[in-house]
Amino acid sequence: MSTILPAVTPPVVEAERPSREARAPTPRFNRAAIGFLAPAAIFVGVFIIYPVIATVIRSLFNRTGETFVGLDNYLKVFTDSRTLHAIQNNIIWLLVFPIAVTGFGVLFAVLLERVPYRLVVRTILFTPMAVSLLASGVIWRIMYQQSPETGAMNAVIASVANAITHPGHYQGARPSQPDLIQPAGDGFRLAQTVAPGDVVHLGFIGFPASEIPAGAQDAKDPSAGAGRVVGVVWRDFVPGGGGQVGQVEPGKKGMPDMTVQLVDSKGSVAAQTQSDSAGDFSFPSSGSGPYHVVLPAQNFHPPFGGIQWLGSGLVTPAIILAAIWVWVGFATVTIGAGLATMSRDLLEAARVDGATEWQVFRRVTIPLLSPLLIVVFITLVINVLKIFDLVYTIAPGSVIPDANVIALQLYLVAFTGLGDFGIGSAIAVFLFLLVIPIMAANIRRFQGEG
Amino acid sequence: MATGALQIAGGRRAGWRKTLDTIPLHLFFIVAGVLWALPAIGLLLTSLRPVDLFTVSGWWTAISHPQELSITNYVHLFDSSLIATSFMNSLLIAVPATVIPVLCATLAAYAFTWLRFPGRTAMLLVLIALMVVPLQMALIPVAGIYGFISPPGIVRVFLFHAAFALPYATFLFRNFFIGIPHELLESARMDGANDARIFRRIILPLAYPAIASFAVFQFLWVWNDLLVGLVFAGSTPPVTVAILQQMRNFGSSVDVISAASFLSLIPPLILFFAFQRYFVQGLLAGSVKG
Amino acid sequence: MNSSRLGRVFSVAVLVSLLAACGTSTSTGSSKPLSGKKVEVAAVWSKDEQKNFEAVLKGFSDKTGATTTFTSTGDQIGTVLGSRIASNSPPDVAILPQPGLLKDLATKGSLKALDSDTANVVSQNYAPVWKDLGTVNGKFYGVFFKAANKSTVWYNVKALKDAGVQPPASMADLTKTLATISASGVKPLSVGGADGWTLTDWFENAYLNIAGRDNYVKLTTHTIKWTDQTVKDTLTALAQVLQDKYVAGGLSGALQTDFPTSVANIAGNPPKAAIVYEGDFVEGTLKDTSHLTPGTDFNFFPFPGATGPSNSVMGGGDVAVRLTDNAAGVELIKYLASPEAAQIWAAKGGFASANKKVDTSVYPDPVAKASAQALANAQNFVFDMSDQAPAAFGGTKGSGEWADLQAWLKNPSNVNAAATQLEKDAAAAYGS
Repeated sequence: MSTILPAVTPPVVEAERPSREARAPTPRFNRAAIGFLAPAAIFVGVFIIYPVIATVIRSLFNRTGETFVGLDNYLKVFTDSRTLHAIQNNIIWLLVFPIAVTGFGVLFAVLLERVPYRLVVRTILFTPMAVSLLASGVIWRIMYQQSPETGAMNAVIASVANAITHPGHYQGARPSQPDLIQPAGDGFRLAQTVAPGDVVHLGFIGFPASEIPAGAQDAKDPSAGAGRVVGVVWRDFVPGGGGQVGQVEPGKKGMPDMTVQLVDSKGSVAAQTQSDSAGDFSFPSSGSGPYHVVLPAQNFHPPFGGIQWLGSGLVTPAIILAAIWVWVGFATVTIGAGLATMSRDLLEAARVDGATEWQVFRRVTIPLLSPLLIVVFITLVINVLKIFDLVYTIAPGSVIPDANVIALQLYLVAFTGLGDFGIGSAIAVFLFLLVIPIMAANIRRFQGEG
Repeated sequence: MATGALQIAGGRRAGWRKTLDTIPLHLFFIVAGVLWALPAIGLLLTSLRPVDLFTVSGWWTAISHPQELSITNYVHLFDSSLIATSFMNSLLIAVPATVIPVLCATLAAYAFTWLRFPGRTAMLLVLIALMVVPLQMALIPVAGIYGFISPPGIVRVFLFHAAFALPYATFLFRNFFIGIPHELLESARMDGANDARIFRRIILPLAYPAIASFAVFQFLWVWNDLLVGLVFAGSTPPVTVAILQQMRNFGSSVDVISAASFLSLIPPLILFFAFQRYFVQGLLAGSVKG
Repeated sequence: MNSSRLGRVFSVAVLVSLLAACGTSTSTGSSKPLSGKKVEVAAVWSKDEQKNFEAVLKGFSDKTGATTTFTSTGDQIGTVLGSRIASNSPPDVAILPQPGLLKDLATKGSLKALDSDTANVVSQNYAPVWKDLGTVNGKFYGVFFKAANKSTVWYNVKALKDAGVQPPASMADLTKTLATISASGVKPLSVGGADGWTLTDWFENAYLNIAGRDNYVKLTTHTIKWTDQTVKDTLTALAQVLQDKYVAGGLSGALQTDFPTSVANIAGNPPKAAIVYEGDFVEGTLKDTSHLTPGTDFNFFPFPGATGPSNSVMGGGDVAVRLTDNAAGVELIKYLASPEAAQIWAAKGGFASANKKVDTSVYPDPVAKASAQALANAQNFVFDMSDQAPAAFGGTKGSGEWADLQAWLKNPSNVNAAATQLEKDAAAAYGS
């Protein structure tokens, strides 16, 4: 067993060097390479390299392709605030996405080896990409909807939020006479003070009749009570229109279960009561006043409105989350393939030698996986540069400037509206040039292994 | 499985600790699995709801109102007779678009790993860099080429897909081959085998896990592609293009998209299950000793 | 193993392609003028619209004996046409959703002009403005087969009845109506602000009524600037209507609402909003995705005029053009200019024609008939301004007029800033 160890341990470089000197010197140009490379070379040359050259040339011409404009398009690209913003967003993606997905991929791939139901989990991870990027984008768009009635994310938050602060009975209600009844915090207050013997009229509109509980009756104008403050709160709207504002009339329903308070001049609540089925309420005899009539916020508290996941601030993180959900399956399966070729005996040997799982993971698994991890990571990085489908599907048109990414900008410029292939080509060339620093950073890796 | 046996063998000295160890693991996977599956479940439920409910209530209400569920959306997908033939077209596109890059890229990766030639590193880096080329930019130049030679629509589509898969495929296979010990080739060379033989007899079989993982995703990506099929397939459209014709111009087409996505999930999923045996650890452990 | 499997797949692929049926074709007998001739048509239509158009094509085949093939491009018609032109295999006829695209293709030389026969038919059947829209640099290229009335405001009948209001005739009436509906507890307006084009249509209708037809034409050609007082007056008037408290979801919610959702908002019991404004295709959307009946459950009123009922209609249309020399293509376009062609689709719903000779009794319900009649008989008809503008300004998601109006909607009273930004983008796009 231990004879295998040196051969398969990470420094593959070391393994190669002794061999290289051991065998007969190989020619610097192995002619067999031509045969091996030819099929791929032809395909790549015709379908990728030729279009790249065509694109570079096209980027030097104007929108219709007739006039040579030199580097003009590139200038336009770099001075356009939309493109610059898109580049900024791509950088955010670059910092978060590849690490997160590779990390999750390694985590899942390694842990899954130890459970019998790994196929189930792998299938769950595989499904997001399998249903197509379009469908994945659509479902996340639905989940991110602001209304807690239709958007899953906000529905979850709403159920918690509404349990904490109960929505009021009469959400959305507002006074029919705003000069008489004014806002006070999230509730309302009669502008004029009252004293015992007064009759208070509180008319409200702006809410549907369906919010009034069943069993409510038409509002009744109460008669004054000696020494007491009485009043009525009613829906100041006749179904079908008509009627006068501020008047209690047939057809206008009372608003039961409305909490009404009498607040004295010091600000403390002197009395509190609830309106009845005709909207009438009366306070027990109490001091001489003057009092403010207050309808506290709890009557009107709106239900949780929902976080705007797809608003300017949150849209990019929201889309990145969706993208991670889609791509982890790819990382897990690909890394899983790498784990499949690893020798079990090697890991067992390390374990028997007393290494903990974590040490086995760090010292044996990761280094053996590293070439594959590089593939996954760089593929993800390049996919970040190209990311398009998810952004296009999830971001509403109004937040495109905030969610914009380079590939989307390319699409908008070259394929919609203006159809400026000159600028579009310049953006594509820019994308291609962006890859160079990434490749440069990894050159040593490649040469080390080569 | 061999896995389980070896685990137990190794952990005999701390049996109960191992069990305690695995409980958090199972918990982790239950939570992670449920969370991860939720959006897909949402999509499934959406596909089973009539379209007019879409703006009224969320898909989770279907759990408490199972009577809302129906397969109308799926039935409507087949309103157009084109859908059935388009499945065949998608297959005729996706299979060659997967097989061709496997052949070309494994050959090229072999060269990049073990054959020496001038400019090898540079060529490899350029090839990988080409992964970034957005395929939209290649549509018009390639359309020009196709204008000259005029192959049938299906061929146009799969040739395009095959080519664009090559950079990633070559990168993947090459980095996978790096992990294969040199001794294997050494001993084979000493036995007198030439490169072609080594490639076919030794390397290719060893590469099955990598080929499997590539094939599953390549098939998937090609199967779900819309743009290339739309531009090049002509009168033999794949499923995605046929579905496009079911989408409303102005209304929301969530019902079509969600149902179609689950229906067309089936072939890639079948392939995924079929290739699972290549993802089993230790399958090839024996060959290392050879 | 792999190579022989590949070989088999390849040969099957070739065989199938050679034998493959051609999309949807129709073919008929042999004694008709064009029998044996083939013609291919490409358009953005899919699903129901595709079915209905294919019925029109069948009418053509039955009449002339030609075989027709329909290709749906989804909303990628620019890309698909572009690549097919590049590979020298364009469709014979294409139906473009914007005159801007027609202008582009004509200037590039990809279109063939229409013959004088067709031109005569159009002159007889349509108001002159439709012929002008199909003309580029003095040459006549396109026939407007399908038209849309974009001055229709749609509402939920019950919501308005509960609030006790009648459809308003003027902008002032509209504001009062909105206030009353709001008092009744229903959000008055639904706005699909996520789709910038809905906002351009709001603007164009208001502008047409407030500034008048002449100014509308001038603004379309950028002869007057977007910083003109008429533009600012229009934006101010709209700010009275598009108030945060009147719009479902508030203005920020409206900016997240796409067009299909904004239409669905007035369906539902209770509806999330009472009124939504967009073109006559709203009817088709409502019939397709809800259970509402036109007339009883939903209806429309014409876009309000500045001080009283409006006598202007703003609309759009799809234009049929020719890309090859195929003689059958010429005949097809001439057929599309005839009343019979329009009547076939009109009877199925979701279609309006600007053809004055169409028999309006074929429209499937009184609502469709009313909107089509309003379109054909409008005293003042203008075409959708943003569709005529350079696409960079009037037709691009996330930039130009679309994005500027979305930014304006965040704070509609900030009229000066909006006008300045609009002018800046217009100047860049129009090049003047």
